[in-house]
Amino acid sequence: MITPVSNYQLPTEWSLEACLHALGDAFPLDSDPDQGLVCTYFDTFDWRLYKGGELLRLEQEGRERHLIWSGLDDANPRQSLRNPERLPVFAPDLPPGAMAERLGPLMAMRALLPVVEVKSRMVILRVLDDEEKTVLRIVLEEGQARTPGSASWHPMGLSLRLMPVRGYNEELAEVKRFLRKKMGLRECPEGRLAAALAALGRKPLDYSSKLDFHFSPDQRADAVARQIHLHLLNTIEANIPGVKAATDSEFLHDLRVAVRRTRSALTQIKGVFEAQDLERFKGRLAWVGAVTGPTRDMDVYLLGFDGYQNSLPKAFRKDLEPLREFLIAHQASEQQTLVNRINSPHFRGLLKEWREFLEAPPPQSPGAPKARKKIAKVAGRRIYRVYERVMIEGLMILPNTPAERLHELRKECKKLRYLLEFFQSLYPKKKIKVLVKALKVLLDNLGEFQDYEVQALKLRELAHQMVAEGSVPADTLLAMGMLVDGLLRRQQQAREQFTECFAVFSGREVSDLFETLFPHKPKPDLGELGAGS
Amino acid sequence: MRIIGVYNIKGGVGKTAAAVNLAYLSAREGYRTLIWDLDPQAAATFYLRVKPEVKGGSREMIKRGNELDDHIKGSDFDNLDLLPADFSYRNMDLMLGEAKKPAKQLLRLLRPLSEQYDRIFLDCPPSISLVSENIFRAADGLLIPTIPTTLSLRTYRQLVEFLDGHRVNGVERMPFFSMVDRRKRMHLDMLEQLPGRYPELMKSFIPYASEVERMGIHRAPLSVYAARSVAGDAYERLWAEVKGRL
Ligand SMILES: Nc1ncnc2c1ncn2[C@@H]1O[C@H](COP(=O)(O)OP(=O)(O)O)[C@@H](O)[C@H]1O
Ligand SMILES: [Mg+2]
Repeated sequence: MITPVSNYQLPTEWSLEACLHALGDAFPLDSDPDQGLVCTYFDTFDWRLYKGGELLRLEQEGRERHLIWSGLDDANPRQSLRNPERLPVFAPDLPPGAMAERLGPLMAMRALLPVVEVKSRMVILRVLDDEEKTVLRIVLEEGQARTPGSASWHPMGLSLRLMPVRGYNEELAEVKRFLRKKMGLRECPEGRLAAALAALGRKPLDYSSKLDFHFSPDQRADAVARQIHLHLLNTIEANIPGVKAATDSEFLHDLRVAVRRTRSALTQIKGVFEAQDLERFKGRLAWVGAVTGPTRDMDVYLLGFDGYQNSLPKAFRKDLEPLREFLIAHQASEQQTLVNRINSPHFRGLLKEWREFLEAPPPQSPGAPKARKKIAKVAGRRIYRVYERVMIEGLMILPNTPAERLHELRKECKKLRYLLEFFQSLYPKKKIKVLVKALKVLLDNLGEFQDYEVQALKLRELAHQMVAEGSVPADTLLAMGMLVDGLLRRQQQAREQFTECFAVFSGREVSDLFETLFPHKPKPDLGELGAGS
Repeated sequence: MRIIGVYNIKGGVGKTAAAVNLAYLSAREGYRTLIWDLDPQAAATFYLRVKPEVKGGSREMIKRGNELDDHIKGSDFDNLDLLPADFSYRNMDLMLGEAKKPAKQLLRLLRPLSEQYDRIFLDCPPSISLVSENIFRAADGLLIPTIPTTLSLRTYRQLVEFLDGHRVNGVERMPFFSMVDRRKRMHLDMLEQLPGRYPELMKSFIPYASEVERMGIHRAPLSVYAARSVAGDAYERLWAEVKGRL
């Protein structure tokens, strides 16, 4: 079997010379010529390759460049490409073959970005047996790392890597024993990438759009709310450079989700901030949601464009091309408007004030009624309240209920989803998972119901706009009409599936969990409450 | 995975030299390459500095089936591994005889390695036996180093008869001239006359050269210690031709 590479990060008391001496005294060694390495690691902003257990790096040696795909241990390249004409940015740019097949789906619509640059020198030692056969390679590496584009290099310290030779496991074990017992080193699972990031005060997976809070039930509600908001604000700010540079569509998407979560948290975690503070930010955050919408709409169309096109019979597909061009042109102008908004004093002022507010110490004697209550109580009550609303509104939906009511229900479901995401750490993991899953089924259904309609209406609007802006081929309008028809039909299907999806959510298992997990006042009569709303 | 047997009924014709040098060239191009040293003389194993030992010997290996994996050794070169020889191979014929479908045992053993290797070279012992029949049936291509003498030609014809007689069809026959000595009249004559009579004969040949003999001193493939040499270039040309034929 092929034995994996072992990595060691050496403490500062070990110099390169000291290592060479220690190893040279203990084992018969030969050495290969030293090697210099200049390399850059690539990943999507949200670490999709790393999460998938893959690494992609570009090594440079003089004029030679190698794009290398490997597993997380950095060794045993799975595929490497010599002197690529250009570096892949999006999945379709990946060199065809195994690399594209494996990395493409991981990346999906995201762009590759340089994560960190490394410059290092490697001393390569070979451990020999009595036939003077190499039975193990030891690589000592001393390097520096920097953020791509920045000027300053940071020392990474000395690392040691054991590159086993197949079939020589005993010799490997012997060297490992020596490193542990005589040199006091401990193997670390992470390789060069982690060491480079550590030199910059970072670590892998340090961005994710997923929420992963760890609260304890007794924390003060206002402190918890601040923490949630600060995290979301960090997410918003982290995505701004990518939004401005239009690196890929997901920066804007993540930013918008963070804004929506912020707005939801502001209104749903009730009574923790003073009313006048709430007023100061609510409207302006809604404004961010509004001004980022048009670009996202165009992005959604462009991301789904191939899907739209393929939903038409073959003969009609090329008729849609003018629509694609129209969308690309309008995406670009919406993007420009968006950048102007993001650079505006209004937007920057909002983020600055919001941060100042959140980072200020919570008031000693807050006027807000629930500021000092325990978070478990505040969260549990609120979750239950919103759950009740979802149940009431959902049960009232009949086959001929107007679409508006389903859209309203979707809003309530989203509030509930955000609340569960914010506060999941307060409850048993497995149980929350069941709830989130059932809610997702319902939300997906309601999402389809609304989005297909919105898209159909928007397509009609676009058709008018295209006509108004100049000559559009009749065939294109016809093909768009076919799309509208398809969308409305799918909307109808979603509507037909609603009852089934709601049944999952309103079933015994889910309702029992809601009743037991979230403390609430004795159950009122549902019919009465429903009539009152 | 492509399996390339290097075979001749006779010893001392340059089989092992070809197996090691061609396998090294294959590995250098990035192909994951394995040499299986099937000769109890263990010359390939020696050239790659590996100690000859197969735990349990061949009887164990054939009985247990697919455990070749545990015996593979990495060479000193990237992408080049070796399955070392063992003296118990002397009894390989007998072992194979005991198995069901005796002529297909080698192929059965090699199949699980297809995920790990792009090319497998079989360095074969001289003689015609059950081992060689196994090799013929496992291989995609058969390289046959042949010294350009009338006697060698007879042995080549013997081999062809054997292959045809045993209906071994799926293997590309690639005889090539080995240890060619241009000072010898007979070598020159053969070099001139035979290509017309044997269309399967490789165009490249390996000259007689002292660099090749020195493999035993350096214990490394030729290209490692004599990067640009007449014989080294000859192996590269031969390798290019082999790739074209497979
Ligand atoms: N082209 C060559 N020129 C000179 N000597 C060679 C050449 N090829 C092989 N030899 C030498 O001849 C001997 C037998 O070669 P080898 O490859 O072991 O043959 P085989 O495997 O067929 O028995 C070895 O000592 C080897 O170094
Ligand atoms: Mg031999």
